[in-house]
Amino acid sequence: MVPAPSLRPEAHALSLMLAVIAASPAPLLLLDGDLKVVAASASFCRDFQIEQEGVPARLFSALGHGEWDVPQLVSLLEGTASGAAEVHAYEFELNRDGQAPRLLVLNAHKLDYDDKERVRVLLAIADVTEARASDKLKDNLLREKAILLQEVQHRVANSLQIIASILMQSARKVQSEESRGHLRDAHSRLMSIAAVQQHLAASRLGDVELRAYLVQLCKSLSASMIHDPEVLSIEVVADDSVTLADISVSLGLIVTELVINALKHAFPGHRAGRIVVEYGSREANWTLSVRDNGIGMQPASEDRKPGLGTNIVEALAKRLDAEVRVSGANPGTVVSIVHVQPAVAAVGRNV
Amino acid sequence: MSLNSAVVLVVEDSPLILINALDMVEAAGFDGVGVGNADEAIAILEARTDIRLVFTDVEMPGTFDGVKLAHYIRNRWPPIHLIVASGRVIEDVSCLPTGTRFFSKPYDNDTLVKEMTRMLAIVDAAERAQEV
Repeated sequence: MVPAPSLRPEAHALSLMLAVIAASPAPLLLLDGDLKVVAASASFCRDFQIEQEGVPARLFSALGHGEWDVPQLVSLLEGTASGAAEVHAYEFELNRDGQAPRLLVLNAHKLDYDDKERVRVLLAIADVTEARASDKLKDNLLREKAILLQEVQHRVANSLQIIASILMQSARKVQSEESRGHLRDAHSRLMSIAAVQQHLAASRLGDVELRAYLVQLCKSLSASMIHDPEVLSIEVVADDSVTLADISVSLGLIVTELVINALKHAFPGHRAGRIVVEYGSREANWTLSVRDNGIGMQPASEDRKPGLGTNIVEALAKRLDAEVRVSGANPGTVVSIVHVQPAVAAVGRNV
Repeated sequence: MSLNSAVVLVVEDSPLILINALDMVEAAGFDGVGVGNADEAIAILEARTDIRLVFTDVEMPGTFDGVKLAHYIRNRWPPIHLIVASGRVIEDVSCLPTGTRFFSKPYDNDTLVKEMTRMLAIVDAAERAQEV
């Protein structure tokens, strides 16, 4: 007896497969060994504007108005049907009259199943036109952002140069020695801010390696303030600490003020000397100090109104939650900025 | 030729920076000539033969920027010393002719003058050696 009912599950399986293909949200085609269409998904017909009725039994290359009749593609599909080739992420530009070209990614796979006589090739088509365009847009935006950032840095540098030029110009023209000193100080502050700016622009990442940063800053300070490096020098002693960019800016400005102050008061009358900028940290605690081997603090000077530099240092230290300690270094003076993390975590505190 | 009469050509499109640069050059004892772009710089170099050093900005209007100008000068007038300054943070120094000194803006006047003096002193010494 012929097992007639065994045909039924096969027919059932075929109709299930056709239904799956027809309903696929991604464009799908099922082709036979001659590249005739066995089934097409509704999404294929919709996306590529092909009449659904005329599709079954049509040759793949005859679909639409011949836009799918591309020799290379047809040959790849023939290869897939014969088992000689595989279409894996094949990029194909679909050109139709009066429409913008679409960029498609094709994957074709020869179905492996019981019926060896009937060849079936499943072709999946993904339209990546928009995705590629948005990738390109993203790349362009990133490039544009990099160019803009460079442009801003360039303009900042040029503006600083203009201000530096005006300050130097004024320092040369002005009659009073005191005013000249103030203008030169302003110039030094500007140069140190520029050095800080350059270092931060080059470091890019959020964290700043303090030793390199302080070395560059002190180099800039000595270039603009020390006339004879044989007589006065600035040295940096720092551990391998890294810190956040905005904290490093404050530290840099503090160093600038303390170094200006030491150069101004510690070495009168061409006295030779050395300034040491030191930074060290242990866990969340850190100490920044600027030490000179100059004449030391004059008792009388403590009654004087604090200068701009002192105010700047105090304000910055407060922002960093740190204390300013001034003591004699014998010889000279040492100013330390000490940050001690309180036992209770400072999270969320308004500094 | 003595160091003091060396002529320095400053190429800078920002008038305020140019004035300061010329001031700086003259305060250092050199003669300064200032122009606002590369085309004017080339016209000056064609017209006079006493320029010993060119100090140029990079970003300028006109056909050449400072980097192209530096290469042009190195090719056409090889003995002229070159200093290039730019506001760009990381300038690829290898794109400049050999021997060119690069300064990022804002540059420090004293450091720049020291470098000019050093470069011109080398010219001076070399010329004296030739005379002997």
